[in-house]
Amino acid sequence: MTATAIDARGLGKDFGAIRALGGLDLEVRQAEFFGLLGPNGAGKTTTVHLLATLLRPTRGTARVAGYDVVREDLETRRRIGLVFQETTLDRDLTVEQNLSFAARLWNLPGRVAGPRIDELLVQFGLRERRRDPVRALSGGMRRALDIARGLLHEPRVLFLDEPTAGLDPRSRRSLWELIQRLRSASGLTVFLTTHYVEEAEPCDRVAVLDRGSLAALGTPAELKRAAGVSSLEAVFLARTGHPLAASSAA
Amino acid sequence: MRAIAGIVVRELLRFLRQRGRLVSSLARPFVWLVFAGAGFATVFSGAGAIDYRRYLAPGLLGMVVMFGSLLAALSTVTDREAGVLRMMLVAPIRRSTLALGKTLGATLLGTTQAVVVGALLLSLLRLWPGPAGLLLGCAAIVLSGLALGALGLVLAATMRSIENFAGVMNFVVFPMLFLSGALYPVRRLGPWLRALVHVNPLAYGVDLLKHALLGEWAGTGYGGEMPVALDVAVLAAFAAAGLAIAAALLGREGGVTRTAFRSPA
Ligand SMILES: Nc1ncnc2c1ncn2[C@@H]1O[C@H](COP(=O)(O)OP(=O)(O)OP(=O)(O)O)[C@@H](O)[C@H]1O
Ligand SMILES: [Mg+2]
Repeated sequence: MTATAIDARGLGKDFGAIRALGGLDLEVRQAEFFGLLGPNGAGKTTTVHLLATLLRPTRGTARVAGYDVVREDLETRRRIGLVFQETTLDRDLTVEQNLSFAARLWNLPGRVAGPRIDELLVQFGLRERRRDPVRALSGGMRRALDIARGLLHEPRVLFLDEPTAGLDPRSRRSLWELIQRLRSASGLTVFLTTHYVEEAEPCDRVAVLDRGSLAALGTPAELKRAAGVSSLEAVFLARTGHPLAASSAA
Repeated sequence: MRAIAGIVVRELLRFLRQRGRLVSSLARPFVWLVFAGAGFATVFSGAGAIDYRRYLAPGLLGMVVMFGSLLAALSTVTDREAGVLRMMLVAPIRRSTLALGKTLGATLLGTTQAVVVGALLLSLLRLWPGPAGLLLGCAAIVLSGLALGALGLVLAATMRSIENFAGVMNFVVFPMLFLSGALYPVRRLGPWLRALVHVNPLAYGVDLLKHALLGEWAGTGYGGEMPVALDVAVLAAFAAAGLAIAAALLGREGGVTRTAFRSPA
């Protein structure tokens, strides 16, 4: 019996006349490494923000880590980590100060936070830079710090919203390796959004999102078999009728 | 509790990193004392009753609190632009806790600056209000800091970007300063302006500071003009209302979604 980490039922969001997310039905199991694949404007960030209690759903419901995202928003937030699409670090503070600031916001006592911060700095290759202001870090290192901060309070579910977007190929590769290492972490569910097929490929399961609705859902192998094609790119084309890359030119 | 401490510590760290802000906030009141002091003294009708520079002391302290607290709270706009606000909004804390932490941080910055400047100012002007006056003065500084910090947070929550900063200076900070009694008594202003004085939190803060520091001149019309209890009550009401409004505004969806972050492309 595997517990459900994310359970969305008919989850949807409108911004005025814009239907950003139609009605999403989605179950993500605990410890799953889950990918949400879609082009720009598909509704990936909207989905993540709804699940992270930052947006109120227009319709439907969702439970994350067992808690209702609307009625139990504080409990939900306590159990999730969220790495936003754009970095949210304080660039004037040092690497370490950013982490201790977050530790206090997440109510970690000093004797827990200290060792945890040391551990994360080593894990994310930031130990030598701990006293440097964030503005002095490279883009890849900032993203690594964003992720380290998201893990500080040992969340049950970690949301990564396009974590490698905007990085040069080399930083992308090394950051991706750090992200892959999170899979083995005990019981952590990773919910990753991306518009790169090569990042969706290694996921346990992938949901394909297009214009606010779910176009396909399954393991990468299942999706390819069902569509009778050999790549996730071709799956996207077969399921939506248009290519994934063309619309991500923006 | 720990979250509030975290927000306050971050405000302090940011302030200490900005050397320029530190220097200018401490130097500003003395520049005013020298230039405004010399200029206004020549036309000040209280001459004979009170030395204008002494009359100016409570107003300058009020000004230090205003710049310190209100501007610190306004930095929430840069937090929003830099994304730090989103990170605070995804923390497992209530919006009211966030608003309180921000306001307390701003109050701490404003009051510390005012206490340092106050000590220098009082010894420079050889103004000795006595222990009760000093105590009331400190209370006035803290209450003004809370009220102005909360007000700054409300402004910050309604502003899209720090580009509106000049607008805040022109339409909020300077009118508040000139209609506060900091530079001249407000009792001779016309009815319209006097009405504005009564909705100006800084006016109550400065009045309370006058009660505290200029008690000796209470009979000459240059000390505090409103009852102490009224000053205290109005400042506390401003702080409470500001906090409640700021918490509600910060909790709006616009606090995190992209429209609030990027100017429409
Ligand atoms: N706050 C908002 N107000 C109005 N429209 C919005 C808002 N946020 C998102 N949208 C719209 O909703 C749709 C989905 O946006 P969303 O940001 O969820 O897409 P995304 O898949 O994350 O795209 P990207 O790859 O660009 O990050 C888009 O059409 C977008 O313009
Ligand atoms: Mg997005």
